[in-house]
Amino acid sequence: MNNSEKKRMNGEAEEENEEDVEDEGRDAWERTYTDERSWEALEEDESGLLQPIDNKAIYHSQYRRRLQSLSATSAASRIQKGLIRFLCVVVDLSKAAGEMDFKPSRMAVIAKHVEAFIREFFDQNPLSQIGLVIIKDGVAQSLTELGGSPEAHIKALMVKLGCAGDSSLQNALELVHDTLHKIPSYGHREVLILYSALSTCDPGDIMETIQKCKKAKLRCSVIGLSAEMFVCKHLCQETGGSYMVALDEGHFKELLLEHAPPPPALAEFAIANLIKMGFPQRAAEGSIAICSCHREAKVGEGYICPRCKARVCELPTECRFCGLTLVSSPHLARSYHHLFPIEPFTEVSARQLELSRVASKTCFSCRESLLTPGAACTKCKQYFCLDCDIYIHESLHNCPGCESRRITPAAASATMS
Amino acid sequence: MKFQIEEVTVYFPYDNIYPEQYTYMVELKRALDAKGHCLLEMPTGTGKTIALLSLITSYALAKTESPIKLIYCTRTVHEMEKTLAELKFLHNYQVKHLGAAAKMLAIGLSSRKNLCVNPTVSSAENRDSVDAACRKLTASWVRSMAAENPNQPTCEFYENYDRAAGGAVLPAGVYTLEDLRAFGKEKGWCPYFLARHMVQFANVVVYSYQYLLDPKVAGIISKEMQKESVVVFDEAHNIDNVCIEALSVSVRRQTLEGAIRNISRIENEIDRFKDIDAGRLRAEYNRLVEGLALRGDLSASDAWLANPALPDDILRQAVPGNIRRAEHFLHVLRRLVQYLKVKLDTDKVEKESPVSFVASINSDAGIDQKALKFCYDRLHSLLMTLEITDTDEFLHIQTICDFATLVGTYARGFSIIIEPFDERMPLIPDPVLQLCCHDASLAIKPVFDRFQSVVITSGTLSPIDLYPRLLNFHPVVSRSFKMSLTRDCICPMVLTRGSDQLPVSTKFDMRSDPGVVRNYGKLLVEMVSIVPDGIVCFFVSYSYMDGIINSWNESGILKDIMQHKLVFIETQDVVETTLALDNYRRACDCGRGAVFFSVARGKVAEGIDFDRHYGRLVIMFGVPFQYTESKILRARLEYLRDTFQIKEGDFLTFDALIDVMNIKLTDRNLNQRQAAQCVGRVIRSKADYGMMIFADKRYSRHDKRSKLPGWILSHLRDANLNLSTDMALHIAREFLRKMAQPYEKTGSTTGRKTLLSQEDVEKLGNNGAQEMLY
Repeated sequence: MNNSEKKRMNGEAEEENEEDVEDEGRDAWERTYTDERSWEALEEDESGLLQPIDNKAIYHSQYRRRLQSLSATSAASRIQKGLIRFLCVVVDLSKAAGEMDFKPSRMAVIAKHVEAFIREFFDQNPLSQIGLVIIKDGVAQSLTELGGSPEAHIKALMVKLGCAGDSSLQNALELVHDTLHKIPSYGHREVLILYSALSTCDPGDIMETIQKCKKAKLRCSVIGLSAEMFVCKHLCQETGGSYMVALDEGHFKELLLEHAPPPPALAEFAIANLIKMGFPQRAAEGSIAICSCHREAKVGEGYICPRCKARVCELPTECRFCGLTLVSSPHLARSYHHLFPIEPFTEVSARQLELSRVASKTCFSCRESLLTPGAACTKCKQYFCLDCDIYIHESLHNCPGCESRRITPAAASATMS
Repeated sequence: MKFQIEEVTVYFPYDNIYPEQYTYMVELKRALDAKGHCLLEMPTGTGKTIALLSLITSYALAKTESPIKLIYCTRTVHEMEKTLAELKFLHNYQVKHLGAAAKMLAIGLSSRKNLCVNPTVSSAENRDSVDAACRKLTASWVRSMAAENPNQPTCEFYENYDRAAGGAVLPAGVYTLEDLRAFGKEKGWCPYFLARHMVQFANVVVYSYQYLLDPKVAGIISKEMQKESVVVFDEAHNIDNVCIEALSVSVRRQTLEGAIRNISRIENEIDRFKDIDAGRLRAEYNRLVEGLALRGDLSASDAWLANPALPDDILRQAVPGNIRRAEHFLHVLRRLVQYLKVKLDTDKVEKESPVSFVASINSDAGIDQKALKFCYDRLHSLLMTLEITDTDEFLHIQTICDFATLVGTYARGFSIIIEPFDERMPLIPDPVLQLCCHDASLAIKPVFDRFQSVVITSGTLSPIDLYPRLLNFHPVVSRSFKMSLTRDCICPMVLTRGSDQLPVSTKFDMRSDPGVVRNYGKLLVEMVSIVPDGIVCFFVSYSYMDGIINSWNESGILKDIMQHKLVFIETQDVVETTLALDNYRRACDCGRGAVFFSVARGKVAEGIDFDRHYGRLVIMFGVPFQYTESKILRARLEYLRDTFQIKEGDFLTFDALIDVMNIKLTDRNLNQRQAAQCVGRVIRSKADYGMMIFADKRYSRHDKRSKLPGWILSHLRDANLNLSTDMALHIAREFLRKMAQPYEKTGSTTGRKTLLSQEDVEKLGNNGAQEMLY
């Protein structure tokens, strides 16, 4: 018990937060088996002794690799990105989703990570919308309409969890096609299918449906949970999406989150477009009004559409009455970093650190002393520890070093221009 | 790309080359230099064909002083078309680089059925009737009749071709069968005769095995091929079967009845001719006296199938006196047929050597050996004289004469076996008299003797040392190549136990055990739920497959399978099976998933590829043994043991027999070669991947397992040798997940290089040269 507890500390620190919430209902002995497979965190060294895997080092190196590959593809050529996305997430809840090869079941794992994905998605794409579709008993049903509220989607999914029957890819595609093909042309139509089953029972010719999706410019991506299927591969190739198969839970999460940042824009969409948007004001404290989305009287909360003065609860959304796209300026600002990401830091070995002129061998942002290899910003030449490096690139999207240098007027004017 | 192998510049139409293709070419080049024969094994899907074609054509280009000709033999028309398509691609590349110097003529040659452009002829349903329909329009006497009587139908394409005479030539280029037809239509020349004429001048000829191996066909088609030729037998893993088949004849009751009908018809014809044109029969008699057994002076369209015996064994003598007269010859035939009929009326299995058989014919029917030997030529001459064109009607009597000639010619390497009924159905009398050739080297010997280099190559030639002994030749190069892979894309497993830990096997005493049947069923049910798209299952025989499917149906296993995948079953009907296969592919394409039940020696195992998603998993239920009680097999084994000192066990594990339908399992011997051919169909290219499950406990024994080809063995890990169903499931799941990850073609990240660029090859060439220096 003690032992595993320790491993939890050093091993999966980053997942701790999510799991603590779930773990409360379980006994301690249950916890050790369900949420981590402690035997998998061991590896054999040359002499045959068992050692815990240094997860942190692996995590760091994985991160560096991902960053490099990302910057290699995006920074080299300035790629236009679709910031306004309309994404349909199709969750396959046929009976294959009840299989137990992911613990406790595929369905539970999917639900858990879809929740995380939805939050991450709205965090990265504040201007975008998601709709949920499930496949069950051979038919596809729409769980939630396209919308911008993460909570509504998550709630709907958790209520409907449960699997039965066959799976039909064609039905799902038809449904998604009907929902997405009326989206205005500036929006990027995307489909993300989480497919557990290994076959699809279709009422008609799926190849026709695939061509229809291709014509409607739906970008369909599939994440498989068991093995590669020809028809999925074909679908993704035709529509320009990506097809991946998850090896295990960690890999599944990684694959899912890869879909959170906006994909490069399709060539057909690459023409510049002006979109009319409204920036609603927050309603005054204490004012009572009926909101247009829930049709309930509310005190104080919500925003007012600048055109028709209707009340809405959440942003971003589309005004129910006048159809204006409502956003807030921070949303726009947060989408901005996808277009101009901070460049990846260069890696600095411990020895380089010794030789460098910096007197204080501390991280510029958190002030911890730098013992392990760190990273340096290419612009401001400040040193950062790896944890801060990850934080800066994945969450902050601003380099503290560069930002603090802007105080000098010369630098400020330089950045302005 | 273009690179040097020693002094030869090789033109290879792709930018990259697999290392094994390169070494394959190096070995092949050495064999060509030595002007010797060679035996090369390289796994399927590594581009054997293009490596062969590109090296040999480049070699011919480099050695202009002694031009070599390439004769490429394939098993099927489909393979022929594929080869020609690749050759075309290669040729375009060479012409782009070398200009006009690289010009060559390459043609494919096939039967009239595939080449005929005459709409009335080509509509006939089978090969023999197309041949006969063609003869009806083009035989020399028909044409001379047409010259007098304009109402006599002839073939305009042949007439045009004949009129153009020497002017009818194909310009340089690569012609597939389709191209030949198109060319023939455009010019109005008969493509079949044009192709046959051009075979002598072409640089590359692609045709079927039979054109070289079957003496009946080889005699007319391939007799003028030059010695400086390279003969390639592709997919030659059962070349020995083709060889012995070419010299084997089987006679059934229907054959004899047909023969009697033929004889009476000939009799009528003779009577008719006696009335109209007695001089003609007289002229034939005179010709036979002079010994001009119709050689040499025939036009191409009259040429018929040649003598079934090998050219060296045909006596250049006059036809013996007792069969010179047509009536006498007919009497001889009648007596022969009568004698065979009596022989067939037996109720026990008999085995005889040709010598004693000929002796008893002599004493009982009064036909001596010499007369037998000339039967075929005599019949041929008679049919010619009688101006008979509907030759497809006379197949029965031809079979009898084939038989007589072979029995009269060969004393060794053959035996005559009479079986009163089929072993599997002892109640239904179906007597068959078979003249079986046991010595594969007989038919192929003229090929080895005549041509400078013979290349025998296939995906599976294991064990490679047995082929030279079976075919009786000495290869200068004999090598087996491994496939280089960036990842372990094949996952062979040996499954010995069901999930209840009981052993599974199709051994005779266990096969009907309900536990085994259930365990096999469970295995399949579990597998269909975790393997995507297509699964192919091979059973050991049709009867076993029928039985097991029946009991699966009763116990509801089939229904469980159908929940995940559709089920298709191979039958002995070709049309039905083709339809089933077609739908199987459709089900795999559209994502519904499908299982195909097939038989290890059935039609499917020969020639259809279950590549990519059409065969993610192959399950071999049991070990596909040859039916060892078969008399023919026994006789052949005996012969091999006495003549070539090949042990029975060795041969059986290797297996080479033709009799495709006779499958039954005995526990001692197995046909690994057949199993390997079945599973080899999973992998056709490097990006592909697939699993194979050998479900029988006997596969875990070393002596059986070691007969599998090296490229499968090298992937068979010790951990996968003795699995139960649940362990196999786990491995399959992991494997499918791993293989679904994005695939890198060149393998640069893993450090295992599998694609060589031009520079790599040059480096390799230099190093090789240095190695030889030191």
